[in-house]
Amino acid sequence: MTEAPRLGAPDWGVGVGLRVPHYRHILSRQPDVDFFEIIGENFMVAGGKPLYHLERVLERYRVILHGVSLSIGGPEPPDRDYLRRLKALVRRVRPPWVSDHFCWCGAGGAHLHDLLPLPYTTEAVRRVAERARMVQDFLEVRFALENTSSYLAYTSSSMTEWEFISEVAERADIGLMFDVNNVYVAAYNHGFDPYAYVRGIPHRRVVQVHLAGHTNLGKYIIDTHRGHVIDPVWDLYRETIELCGPVSTLIEWDDEIPDFPVLMAEAERARATRDGALGQAPAHVAVPLPERADASNDGAATGAERMWAQGGPRELPEDAAPFETP
Amino acid sequence: MTELSKLQGFMAELLRRRGALPKDAELSRLVAQHVSGNDRLSPIEQLEIYREQFWLRHTSALVEDFPGLGGILGQEDWQRLVEGYLLERAPTSFSLRDLGEGLPAFVERSTWLPERRLCTDMARLEWAYVEVFDAPDAGKLEPDRLAALPLDAWETARCVLSPALRLLPVRYPVADLRRALKRSTENGEAVPLPAEMPQNLVIYRGTNLRIFDKEVGDAAFGLLHALAEGEPLLTACERAAAVAAARSETIESELQGWFASFGELGFIVDVRVEDRTDPL
Repeated sequence: MTEAPRLGAPDWGVGVGLRVPHYRHILSRQPDVDFFEIIGENFMVAGGKPLYHLERVLERYRVILHGVSLSIGGPEPPDRDYLRRLKALVRRVRPPWVSDHFCWCGAGGAHLHDLLPLPYTTEAVRRVAERARMVQDFLEVRFALENTSSYLAYTSSSMTEWEFISEVAERADIGLMFDVNNVYVAAYNHGFDPYAYVRGIPHRRVVQVHLAGHTNLGKYIIDTHRGHVIDPVWDLYRETIELCGPVSTLIEWDDEIPDFPVLMAEAERARATRDGALGQAPAHVAVPLPERADASNDGAATGAERMWAQGGPRELPEDAAPFETP
Repeated sequence: MTELSKLQGFMAELLRRRGALPKDAELSRLVAQHVSGNDRLSPIEQLEIYREQFWLRHTSALVEDFPGLGGILGQEDWQRLVEGYLLERAPTSFSLRDLGEGLPAFVERSTWLPERRLCTDMARLEWAYVEVFDAPDAGKLEPDRLAALPLDAWETARCVLSPALRLLPVRYPVADLRRALKRSTENGEAVPLPAEMPQNLVIYRGTNLRIFDKEVGDAAFGLLHALAEGEPLLTACERAAAVAAARSETIESELQGWFASFGELGFIVDVRVEDRTDPL
């Protein structure tokens, strides 16, 4: 069993998600950023602007790969063509680890483009662990899976979510991409103690942390990656760092994406919190469940406000230039 | 099939249903066998969150890729069209980029659509933009490659066209209409739908990675078609000349001009000459 912290993965500091609205700023101003994370699927293309932009970013920055479409827990095994294209991207980017999600994305050949939760059962552990090990071997790079936000729970679950992800990670010998905001969202939606979650995972397997904002609709929270990280999530993050040590941390902001300096200010807050946590001993104190927002606001949000997306807007032909006649 | 796979198949079918899941006793009982619910949301309401997302996410992706088609149809018909499309054709690709691949053909089959021929042209144009946007990169033909080709090599030499190029004959001036619709979203001015006016459009990605549409004449379009089909240069030129014969006595200079232009614009990326050397 590996004992090295982060399974030997490097600590890259605090990074931000690479998103289309920031390309111009990043490529022209070249701001100091510890690392960027890209959504792999947006760059698993043959050519054109997406790969051009990626190459320009790679010339100056460290880049990590994060996926949203592997469907590791689906009825069908991961798609071979998808894996081949992902591996080609891994060879281009050369990241120290690659991540996707503890989820399934479709069934019967349909891809629903969502991170659907798995029941926490021994059957699901077996399925996901076996495939995660295979993916890691195939990609020839450390593979990690991320805990997702979820809006439903299954009657068949026989363990907690943190027991589930721990068991898979140990069996497959993979890393954890630990999303602290997702812990908070799931705790709120399903009524468990988020600190029990943070304390219950194998900390040496955490290779990266995600932080993001969310949308509280009262009856439930949606992981919209919109807005600032809220204070209770910062508190959970502090606890995570105290337990895991220095772990590469990333701010995700995928909806109502602000100007780049606003995003960087959020990253600086993460850095300050991280630095502070690394100077403190873990404080194992009982923490109450997060307060519920006023349930009366449920239903006030529009469809667009309720929608969640991973990775922000896709780069579209329209982004390249308005269509022109030569 | 395992219990887990059965559960996922059951859920996937529900998540693709159009319209809110009914809260009738039978479905409630079935869903409650698998989904817990809580004191704030019933099992069906929890599942409904994901079902709603399926439709929001996929209709939004289609709006992004087919704004011109949406602009012609207006909200009500657009909604009916994309809902029918998504019901008939489940997304299968890992990438939302591929979602609209079958939309042009679906539009063509949707006989209820107003302005169906115009809509079909627009859908084909917008899908061509998607394809050209991230098609493989290719180099540019050296300016003197064609000129340096020996005359007898034209019988067998074949041009390689850019993978980021589509030849699109349309019945309506949809590229101009799309630009007008885009402007109208900014200035609020109504855009009249155009009358039929057939065009040969070349949709291509320039060497600066920007996307262009260029209208070309019948003979030049015929030449490009022949080259795209892998015809040898001489045969391709003869096909173009046959189209131009009725109106042109200067086909030779026109051909020279087209080849120069196609090379300059990056339409032609290579010339392959058949090796006639006797292997023995």
